[in-house]
Amino acid sequence: MSHKFKFDTLSLHAGQIPDSETGSRAVPIHQTTSYVFRNTRHAAALYNMEVGGHLYSRISNPTVAVLEQRVAALDDAAAATATSSGMAALFSALLTICSAGDHIVASSQLYGANVNLLKYTLPRFGIRTTFVDPTNHEEIKSAITENTKIFFSEIIGNPGLVILDVDAVAKMCQEHSILFMVDGTFNTPYLMAPVKNGVNIIIHSLTKWMGGHGVAIGGVVVDGGNFDWGSTDKFPTISEPHYAMDGINFYEEFGPVAFTAKFRAEAMYNFGPCLAPMNAFHILQGLETLPLRMQRHIENTQELLKFLISHEQISWVRHPSLPEHPQHELAAEMLPRGAGSIITFGIKGGRDAGKKFIETVTLSSHLANVGDAKTLVIHPASTTHSHIDSQSMLSAGLTDDMIRLSVGLEDISDIISDFEQGLKAASKL
Amino acid sequence: MKLTVNGHSTYISTGGKKPSMGNQAIFFLPGSGQSHLTFVLQTRFFAFEGYDVYAPDFPGHGLSKGNPLETIEEMADWIAVLMVKCNLKSAIIVGHSQGCLVAMSLAHKYPDLAEKLILIAGALQIKVNDYLLDKSNSSMPLAVKMMTEWGHGRNGHFFAASQPGHSLLGIGRELMMANAQDALSADLLACNQFDANNIAAEIEVPVLCILAQDDKMTPVKLGVKMSDSFKNSMCVKIAQSGHMLPIEKPDDVNSSIQKFLN
Repeated sequence: MSHKFKFDTLSLHAGQIPDSETGSRAVPIHQTTSYVFRNTRHAAALYNMEVGGHLYSRISNPTVAVLEQRVAALDDAAAATATSSGMAALFSALLTICSAGDHIVASSQLYGANVNLLKYTLPRFGIRTTFVDPTNHEEIKSAITENTKIFFSEIIGNPGLVILDVDAVAKMCQEHSILFMVDGTFNTPYLMAPVKNGVNIIIHSLTKWMGGHGVAIGGVVVDGGNFDWGSTDKFPTISEPHYAMDGINFYEEFGPVAFTAKFRAEAMYNFGPCLAPMNAFHILQGLETLPLRMQRHIENTQELLKFLISHEQISWVRHPSLPEHPQHELAAEMLPRGAGSIITFGIKGGRDAGKKFIETVTLSSHLANVGDAKTLVIHPASTTHSHIDSQSMLSAGLTDDMIRLSVGLEDISDIISDFEQGLKAASKL
Repeated sequence: MKLTVNGHSTYISTGGKKPSMGNQAIFFLPGSGQSHLTFVLQTRFFAFEGYDVYAPDFPGHGLSKGNPLETIEEMADWIAVLMVKCNLKSAIIVGHSQGCLVAMSLAHKYPDLAEKLILIAGALQIKVNDYLLDKSNSSMPLAVKMMTEWGHGRNGHFFAASQPGHSLLGIGRELMMANAQDALSADLLACNQFDANNIAAEIEVPVLCILAQDDKMTPVKLGVKMSDSFKNSMCVKIAQSGHMLPIEKPDDVNSSIQKFLN
């Protein structure tokens, strides 16, 4: 073979060759904890990472591996490791790199749990974070110190919808020999596969668009394989002998997948954030239609934007595709297939009107998720971001009247009709 | 481990185990634009099997410094120097693709150094098309893309991998891009110029040729011709694999080597 399959084909096939014994076309669910070794030598070889294969499902599993390899293919990356949730992916990835005394520079425009992890949890273990405006490159640069290991940001910020200039930040990270880690949940590999732009590690919540049907929680850590661990002495647990496996040097032994090798040997082995094979199967079903769904998500988003902008009850609308969005041009250049299907907007009448709208819509579901096939609405200030302080809320671009809308795949006329009656009810307050 | 060879820092993977100097030594020589990482699923395996493993990065490749070598003969000379540095009188030589050419040149020029040859996805001549030669000079990312896509068979293109979560195409790309800018073009030129047709018959040591049925870069018929040229050789063909046999079918490659050596 010499022709590389395209994205739509990879969504369906990557990671799986039907096994010759059963011929099962669907990915089999390997609901097992462990795997029979061929002999003692084979067991030792698996433990020593001499050979490929599976030894215990906390570390790897054949069904989960299909998912991991499919995501690696879609993100055009070197490797991927699936985890039990997006938060497990982020926490495990950060701890694979950072030790006490290390420093992270992170965007202030992050999902609430991401903020809490960086702001409150990690400092208890001696890992500190400086939050910066991701659009202010001078601020990012000046926040980087000698012990900074990572710059972390969402590509499309949740829920502020700020767009990260990936090319510019990648250059900055390279100049400072720090790891460039992004959360790519809102863009998915369909809208942007950023390894080629210089991103080193991508975190996805698979629960969202990639799974796409709201049936399984999952996450993944994608390794671009493009960080030169030998260019700096900042990452001794990867580029110097490590306690695991008789002082293995992950960088020398595994090169482009040094991070993944360490993640598998340490995070999966010691922390245990493994994804259940059944959940991997559910997410794989979603991934098969990712390109089709994303096209429809984007089409419906554009139609709903037209409706919201022209509606007299709406005080403001934010989406990166709108000309008034401060990074409209960057979004158009960086995300040519679309800037995601999250819209935020404010309803005239403030918090009470917003509450009335959410309680009146019937087709749209009021819940704490995004990226479902169904249209979802929520009031972030009282839910997803309610546990972060007012200053952080302001930094994240949150206002009291903000409604976050995750545009689904229903017929657009039905979504608009649902919104019309919700807005009508809100206007009567 | 790192040694200084011809004045330059040289990295040699030993498969995660320090050579004991008492075990059978086995050298792994990578293909064009490749490094010790091509053999990641051989080096650790054979080191833990009890061999003293040496998988060097040629100058300008992987973790080794220095300018890339320009001919296959120079590469064979360099291996001979390295073997002296490692206090080795002889070793089993395993080559992949271009590494097969180096292995044959070494066995011909320094017959005492090579005890046995294991030639994976090789041929007596590896001609490189002009377009790829040109792109290896003018556009390394494009040349790397062409080579990784042509180099991998079914497993690579379907993103099936023996190591969970790995993308063979992605790893292959990053591995090659990590070399010095002129490493790939130097390798391809060296391959293009070398011809083992006149030396193969003079190689006395036992040879195992491991060939990939779906190899687009060194098609299996050229591998069979190579195998037939030696006085003492055997040939194994592995189904459903492209040129990157060591990572596409590591278990088959390892068991073929084990059978040959035992």
